[in-house]
Amino acid sequence: MEERKTSKRCGGVFPFIIGFLATCVLGWAVIPGLFFAEEEQPVWFSHAVHVDGQGMDCESCHYFRDDGSYAGFPTNEVCAECHAVDPEEAREAIAEEGIDLNDYAAIMKAGIGAIEDNLASSDEDKMQAEREYVVKYLIQGKEVPWLNYQYQPDNVYFSHASHKNLSIEELASMKKELSDVVDPSVFEGEAPEQNCNLCHPKDIQTNDVPPALQRNVLSGYSKTTMKMWKCERCHALKGQPNACYTCHK
Amino acid sequence: MSVARRTFIQLGAGATVGILFTPTVWKALDDVSIWTQNWPWIPKLKYGAVEAKPTVSKMCESGCAVKVRTVAGEAFGTMGNVDNPLSGGGICPLCANGVQVKNSPNRIKAPMLDGQEISWEKAQEVVAEKLAAAGSKVAVISGDQTGTVNEVFSALLNDKGSDAFYVMPCDMQAADKAWTGLMGGAGQVGYDLEGADLVLLAGADALESWGPTVANLKSFAANESGKFIFAGPMQTKTASVTSKWVPVPAEGMAAFTLGLAYYVLQAGKTVGAADFDLFRSMVMSEYSPAKVEAATGVKADQMAALAKQLLTASNPVVVPAGPVAAHGAAFALNLLLGGAMKALPEFAKAIPSAMSRSEMLRADILDGVNTDLLFVYEANPAYALPEKIKAGFTVAFDMVQTETTATANLVLPSLHPYERFDDLASPYGLAAATYSLGVPVSKPSVNAANAATFILGLADLGFETFEEVLGAKVDAIGADMDALQGGEAFVVEGETPVAASLAANVLGKAAVPVKGTGAVGLVPYTLLSVGTANRATTPNAPCTISNNQLVGDHMVVMMGSATAKQLGVSVGSMVKLSGGKGECEALVQIFEGVMPGVVAAPLGLGHTVGDEFSKGKGDNVYKILTVSSEAAAGASTWAGSTVNVAKI
Repeated sequence: MEERKTSKRCGGVFPFIIGFLATCVLGWAVIPGLFFAEEEQPVWFSHAVHVDGQGMDCESCHYFRDDGSYAGFPTNEVCAECHAVDPEEAREAIAEEGIDLNDYAAIMKAGIGAIEDNLASSDEDKMQAEREYVVKYLIQGKEVPWLNYQYQPDNVYFSHASHKNLSIEELASMKKELSDVVDPSVFEGEAPEQNCNLCHPKDIQTNDVPPALQRNVLSGYSKTTMKMWKCERCHALKGQPNACYTCHK
Repeated sequence: MSVARRTFIQLGAGATVGILFTPTVWKALDDVSIWTQNWPWIPKLKYGAVEAKPTVSKMCESGCAVKVRTVAGEAFGTMGNVDNPLSGGGICPLCANGVQVKNSPNRIKAPMLDGQEISWEKAQEVVAEKLAAAGSKVAVISGDQTGTVNEVFSALLNDKGSDAFYVMPCDMQAADKAWTGLMGGAGQVGYDLEGADLVLLAGADALESWGPTVANLKSFAANESGKFIFAGPMQTKTASVTSKWVPVPAEGMAAFTLGLAYYVLQAGKTVGAADFDLFRSMVMSEYSPAKVEAATGVKADQMAALAKQLLTASNPVVVPAGPVAAHGAAFALNLLLGGAMKALPEFAKAIPSAMSRSEMLRADILDGVNTDLLFVYEANPAYALPEKIKAGFTVAFDMVQTETTATANLVLPSLHPYERFDDLASPYGLAAATYSLGVPVSKPSVNAANAATFILGLADLGFETFEEVLGAKVDAIGADMDALQGGEAFVVEGETPVAASLAANVLGKAAVPVKGTGAVGLVPYTLLSVGTANRATTPNAPCTISNNQLVGDHMVVMMGSATAKQLGVSVGSMVKLSGGKGECEALVQIFEGVMPGVVAAPLGLGHTVGDEFSKGKGDNVYKILTVSSEAAAGASTWAGSTVNVAKI
């Protein structure tokens, strides 16, 4: 009897409401953020330097191969078209200096002519980024493990070729229906020539510092990896097939 | 205390309910389900350019000109090469599974000496030592009929003073023994299946396992106005798509062909060979239709009708298979008819001291091999010829584990055709001399090496690597390396065949049918999907093997209902076939497309070593074949094999 009275004094359902509200706040405002860990790109790649500074266009690096497939990220072969450091010459020069090829810090500090004389950048900070790329990847013969903001699972067949003719301008008429699927700001202002903004970070081509990839700590995928329902929604809105084999081949 | 507890429970209940009103739980469940896609043991896709790289495949006996599909440099599929006349875009069942064989767990992963893994350097030392000790008692068995690799092996033999170069029994060998050996012809015999208006396939199942099957199929498809007739003891798949099947026993094929020649000679056909008159009188007296009918069972009027068709055709050709005598008789008939048989020039050698192709085909492996040191190159004599081969020390080169590698002293893994330089020079049967080149299109997946390059390290043959040998070969034949590497073939048209003799003396005796003493005749037949003497069936191919060859793990033999009645068996009976020096078990299937008095059995089953697709499947028919000597032709043959059949 005494206990019941005490309980009533504590407010009855009050603790329940406190617990309810606390986890609601945590569940909406705090916990979702804990699902993601930020990862930086392996090299500071400035789109602004390449696009604005050098007048390159998207297809210079993100191109379709002869077989019709999409190459995604540029390989060393593509980068070396402009970054004129000869890997073999650089490796020989590093060996002559008696520096271990894997000692990146020592190589970058040594100011080796075969590398330094062929750097394309002029600003010191950009030169450092280029030096890092050259030393860690180009002369090592390793491809840069670029982080893909929209990496799709292996069981999804996504063809860039099939989607390249989608027009942001035309899709603007159904921006309300697409508001959950794509970033609504994509439809603001004048439609760009390229439709990459539909799925990729908006205006990434003007970006100077690449945004961190937010990797889901459980699933391992990027926060912006497109979910199946989004693919299905857009397909349905565009009158495209949604049969399983359309994407899961 | 109890108050705090109650409050705590209320708080917990509220928190539990509250969390369900947030995305947390649902998102976590969603993410966990997505996480299952990223388990480390789940295979990852290769991303990169998809290419179709031309090369050659040596899985089948003729070899196929193929394009290997790769993604990011990794092979994942094989298709035909439309730019190459050998292929025309098609591919045979063995070569179609090239990638699966390349990635098979059955690949030999490193050099093995008496079951112990050794280095390639150690292997080189061991072989050099054995080679020095063996002197001239060195022999080679090659499972490759078309490669310049044979020049390397034969040049090594020449260097050691040996001429013991053997090929596994094949139609190319029988044809060469008949054409260059008995008839004094030059070059390699070929058949223009596309240009002929009448093709008599005298035992040659050209559309399933004889010769360059893919090229044959393309010719068959392209030759819309031509007529194809099949003669043989069994209505093969080839026979089933031709205009007519003429049942002829295998051992009677030469007599049957000479029976046709009788009518052709009677019609006044002649040929400028020294012994034409002798040939004519031999055929007219010994192979009259009545005599041939008595010996083979083929009706005289059937032969007359067939001969009439051959005589009225403007460009006929007879395509033989089987014993040397059957080839000789067919060549004589072709010379009389003056049709679509061709003589192909042999391509110049890259290594001067190497044997010519004809010299390589001379030794008869069915006579037996006994040597101190034996090199076996991508052949499986321990499976197909277990009683015939004896060697003090055996070095076996192969991609995959076989009965031969299991019994060899030293096993050296050879590179897969997609990982190595190789070539295809004039597969037997084509109407034109054709040269195709193979280049590596995929990185080696095991610690293998090019067998020819290994051999070049044992003797000074003027080359360091096989790639150099192929460069010299291409120069010698006058082909364009870039075009060959691009998948095109170098083609030299065949010529009109000329023979010094019709081998009248030999054929007169050799064409007489000789049959064993068993109760019924044995017709062994080959299907590429089942395998060959050198290669077991490949992954994926077993699903194409029909119930007429294999049911479960049991081999199936086919016979007509009259034969079954004679033997007291019926469909599904388990029988034991005894012949040669062995026995086989099989289930019976009734097929009226098998001649009465014979039983048809598929070659290529019954492997005791290999992968899950071939090992323990069916029984090995090579065990029950009987080798007999071809009278006068100086050759051995399996035609005329007989078996006793007992129900078990």
